[in-house]
Amino acid sequence: MKTNYLLPHKYKRIGWVLFVLGLIAGGYMILTGYEQDVLNMTVFSIHSDDAIFGEAKGFFQLVENDILDELIAVFIIVGGLFISFSRERIEDEFVYKLRKDSLVWAVIFNYIVLLLAVLFVYGFTFFDVLVFNMFTPLIFFVFRFHFMKYKSQSHEE
Amino acid sequence: MKNKIKVHRAIHDMTQADLAERIGVSRQTINAMEKNKYVPSTVLALKIAKLFETPLEEIFLLEEND
Repeated sequence: MKTNYLLPHKYKRIGWVLFVLGLIAGGYMILTGYEQDVLNMTVFSIHSDDAIFGEAKGFFQLVENDILDELIAVFIIVGGLFISFSRERIEDEFVYKLRKDSLVWAVIFNYIVLLLAVLFVYGFTFFDVLVFNMFTPLIFFVFRFHFMKYKSQSHEE
Repeated sequence: MKNKIKVHRAIHDMTQADLAERIGVSRQTINAMEKNKYVPSTVLALKIAKLFETPLEEIFLLEEND
């Protein structure tokens, strides 16, 4: 099966490592709070606003920032993309269909969950919903794709 | 669409893994087709018919609601 957007199979393993590390660190950060000043450094910012996190306001400048949350987000997103879009060991038309179906399912499911959250979650907790929602399309996709693949692997008759 | 892949596989004494390897797909694909959960592409259907040396219609059959 020829597909031009898939990475070689070995990226899948790298993806799992980044993804799991990112999710664990991310879960820990949600429990203990954002911006704990553990990895403070000067970073380039295209836009910064002092409304929430206290950096100087303006465009194209250097600001002080704890980069731990940025690192975690990069790990989860890059890891999730590597898992989702690496070739399977045997990449055939059935896997291709599973991948496409799972993508459609993940997008629809994600927006249903988001809609419910918009309607029923209020106050500062909604900030958490927004944070989760950065990653849930990938998480739902990875879960559904591997579940369907596992299900179709059932014993030979 | 129905198919008789399982029957023809038995005639040729092949496991799902054997057949998968011969036509270059994963075993899950054979499994999904035999359980009527996946309709193969024309290319894959032709490959299977060629391997079993049988006309396509002998293996793949339309159902009433197709």
